[in-house]
Amino acid sequence: MKTKAILASISLLTVSLILAAWFSGCSSNRAEKTPPQLSPGVETPSQAERAQAAPEGSPKSRPETRIYDVSDLLKASPAGPSTVNGDGMMGGMGGMGGYGGEATRFGMRGFGGGMMSGMGGMQPSPATSLDSEPLASVTEDEIWVIAREKAPQAAGPEYETPGSGAMMVERGTEKVPLPLKHTDVKGRVCGYIATVEVVQQFHNPFSEKIEAVYVFPLPQNAAVNEFVMVIGERRIRGIIRERQEAEEIYREARRQGHVASLLTQERPNIFTQKVANIEPGKQIDVNIKYFNTLAYADGWYEFVFPMVVGPRFNPPGSTDGVGAVGRGKMDLSGQSTEVQYLRPNERSGHDISLAVEIDAGVKIEEIACASHAIRKDSDGSDKVRVQLSEFDNIPNKDFVLRFKVAGDTVKSSLVTHRDERGGFFTLMLYPPEDLKQLKRAPMEMVFVLDCSGSMNGQPIAKAKDAIKRALRKLEPDDTFQVIRFSQSASQFGRDPVPATPDNVRRAIDYVDKLQGSGGTMMIEGIKAALDFPHDPRRLRLVSFMTDGYIGNETEILGEIHQRLGSARIFGFGVGSSVNRYLLDRMAKLGKGAVAYLGLNDSGTEVVDQFYDRISHPALTDVQIDWGDLEVSEVYPRQVPDLFVGRPIILTGRFKGQKGTAIRIAGRVGEYDREIRIPVKFDNRATHPGIACVWARKRIEDLATQATYNADSCLPAEIKQVALQYSLMSAYTAFIAVDSTQITAGDHGVTVAVPVPVPEGVRYETTVQD
Amino acid sequence: MKKCLVLSIAVACLAILLLIPKASQASKPPTPRVRFAPVHIYLDPGGKPLAAYQFELKATRGQIKIVGVEGGAHPTFADAPYYDPAALMNERIIIAAFNTSSNLPTTRTRIATIHLQIAGDAEPKYELSLTTAADANGENLSAKITLEKGEQK
Repeated sequence: MKTKAILASISLLTVSLILAAWFSGCSSNRAEKTPPQLSPGVETPSQAERAQAAPEGSPKSRPETRIYDVSDLLKASPAGPSTVNGDGMMGGMGGMGGYGGEATRFGMRGFGGGMMSGMGGMQPSPATSLDSEPLASVTEDEIWVIAREKAPQAAGPEYETPGSGAMMVERGTEKVPLPLKHTDVKGRVCGYIATVEVVQQFHNPFSEKIEAVYVFPLPQNAAVNEFVMVIGERRIRGIIRERQEAEEIYREARRQGHVASLLTQERPNIFTQKVANIEPGKQIDVNIKYFNTLAYADGWYEFVFPMVVGPRFNPPGSTDGVGAVGRGKMDLSGQSTEVQYLRPNERSGHDISLAVEIDAGVKIEEIACASHAIRKDSDGSDKVRVQLSEFDNIPNKDFVLRFKVAGDTVKSSLVTHRDERGGFFTLMLYPPEDLKQLKRAPMEMVFVLDCSGSMNGQPIAKAKDAIKRALRKLEPDDTFQVIRFSQSASQFGRDPVPATPDNVRRAIDYVDKLQGSGGTMMIEGIKAALDFPHDPRRLRLVSFMTDGYIGNETEILGEIHQRLGSARIFGFGVGSSVNRYLLDRMAKLGKGAVAYLGLNDSGTEVVDQFYDRISHPALTDVQIDWGDLEVSEVYPRQVPDLFVGRPIILTGRFKGQKGTAIRIAGRVGEYDREIRIPVKFDNRATHPGIACVWARKRIEDLATQATYNADSCLPAEIKQVALQYSLMSAYTAFIAVDSTQITAGDHGVTVAVPVPVPEGVRYETTVQD
Repeated sequence: MKKCLVLSIAVACLAILLLIPKASQASKPPTPRVRFAPVHIYLDPGGKPLAAYQFELKATRGQIKIVGVEGGAHPTFADAPYYDPAALMNERIIIAAFNTSSNLPTTRTRIATIHLQIAGDAEPKYELSLTTAADANGENLSAKITLEKGEQK
């Protein structure tokens, strides 16, 4: 009996142990698997609890926490946490430091050389359907974004005064603005290199702590190499790190209550800025600096600053695209990057100021800005200051400034920079002048028109005008084809048709009937344009007219690489906020060129310039003899054809200081041509940003290879270059943490910054709502 | 009796089998604690005007990661100094700044604050070395560099 009792006790004890272990396991698993849920109005773990909690999940788990719309935030009960953060430790600081070219005087390494814009400057010397689709159904594609009945909104469109641009959100009787207050852009152009500083002013108008998340654009060739977080008078320089590592640091800093900011790159022209733990009433500025080279065509340089990311179409099944959703519809798109858009009757309180100083080094003959109202001040014939008018400060389209320099003074020129890493150069290479005397061979012109929903309205009207103009300029020996695509593709003729007056007239009628609707299955347009047999007697030129609003850029570029053959691709970006990254890369891969047709630009003029260019043969098979210059790692690796009026920029590394001559040889039709460029090292022809420009080109080259080459080493190479030159890339990110202070309470709710749809783009046909 | 004994042994074995994985989990080392803390860097140029400096910071004990660089107390060095990204790839923190304005510090001043992420419970031990300090003419100064661990507010 006694033994039975002992055995029963052992059994009971054992069962208890099992049950205790089991429940303990369950609870610990729950604690591990369920991160603290941040819900408006619900208390989050205390600081001590947070300090002990395990770090959040892997950086690849996309949503770090649920991101809340402002309306969600406003439903939250006001927590009103006490403020720990003071006004800053170091008041009264105003001095400017710097470390670059002059640093060698102090026997120091010049690792900041590329960042010292102030330390140096450059002085530059019949209709058939592919898919049996009847023409009548061309415009009956399914709309890829369904406009649903508008749900009641907590945040209604309220305006302070008409046109004030302030979006206010109702909270009972309280009205509060959104967390991105202002963007200030200051650009300096020396020759053909721009140095641009962007300040984003985040603030917290709410009664509880927030994390602000803003998806924004920068030029597709921007070498972003500087990031500073400003808290009051304190300036904390961000550190470039591997993206995953930076994201982990940011999450941990946010969890612990530190003010922190993180800048990541989603596409070469799309970035995400996150600022954590902005206390009520406080402001955190983020300063970003980049260099980029300006485009040049037909005597005009072009400075572009994009202000808004256009709504992208993502093919079914894709998750790595850029989603476009209505304000407050977070995670609706299922894409890794998502942009929230304001509804047509809403305005953002976010405005923008922009100023550009141009030091062309030669006489500036003309300045034009078709996109915005500007003010100009001249300082001598070669220096101009341009400022965005305060009456045109809504950031809903690209700022495009063009300036024309004295015609005879533009020559091929070499600009260099040296630091402890070696020598770097950029060479702007102009085509021979006498190409204009020669006439072109017959062409096979293929016009590909994007008829998707985002092109509906003004953009497609502009594109159609441009195609009709181009059709009228064809010559009798030419042949042509017109292809339209949206959800699918169809075309004007079964094969390219001769450019007879009758065929041209019928093609114009065909183009006139096209309308924009449906998705952007660009892949179908590419297949239709490149897959049919090539006429060996004619050079095939494919002109894509599109806004480029797609999220699968890599897939498109890969297809072009595979299918190009001997064709040349010319991109025409149409609209107020085009995806320039896609259009530029398509033209580069397609060995052609790109032009942009803004809503205020003349389509006729753009097409006439295009025809002027292709009306003469290009300098092909270009080879360069660098003379006594020891040159390496030159980008682009393959020198593209040189078309009349379109110089190209080569960037590379060099050794040596001896004066020499660079010899450029190529072919024009059946004839050989040669250009000689004397090289004389001149301290004035230097620019500190060239090392960054070179590194950015190297990253671009590696990334382009990655679109068609599955080499697993390419990402590591990109990362290596980006870290070494402190540059943003798909694999690196900037992180800045203020370790001196811990803000009170949890990390608050996350507030996405909604943006307006680009001017001319219809919200109803492009944004998921 | 025998049945009870067999049953008890079976239950005990089952318990051991279920508890072993838990015990092995419990024996895993805990995730290192991660915290953020500043280190303030001071430089005393010995009465001479300080125009430029470069220093290197490393931890001889503990794991640190630089997560931000902040400017100093004197207006001349208030702007955030630069770090060497190439050195950072080799876990070296090299910071530098220069300024040739007329208002240069001549006494001990905080030239920078380094924001760090520290992993683990061990308090890091730092090694700080001044690479160079110079006046506005580029002449080397015999300056003394020191650090102070910052307190969080």
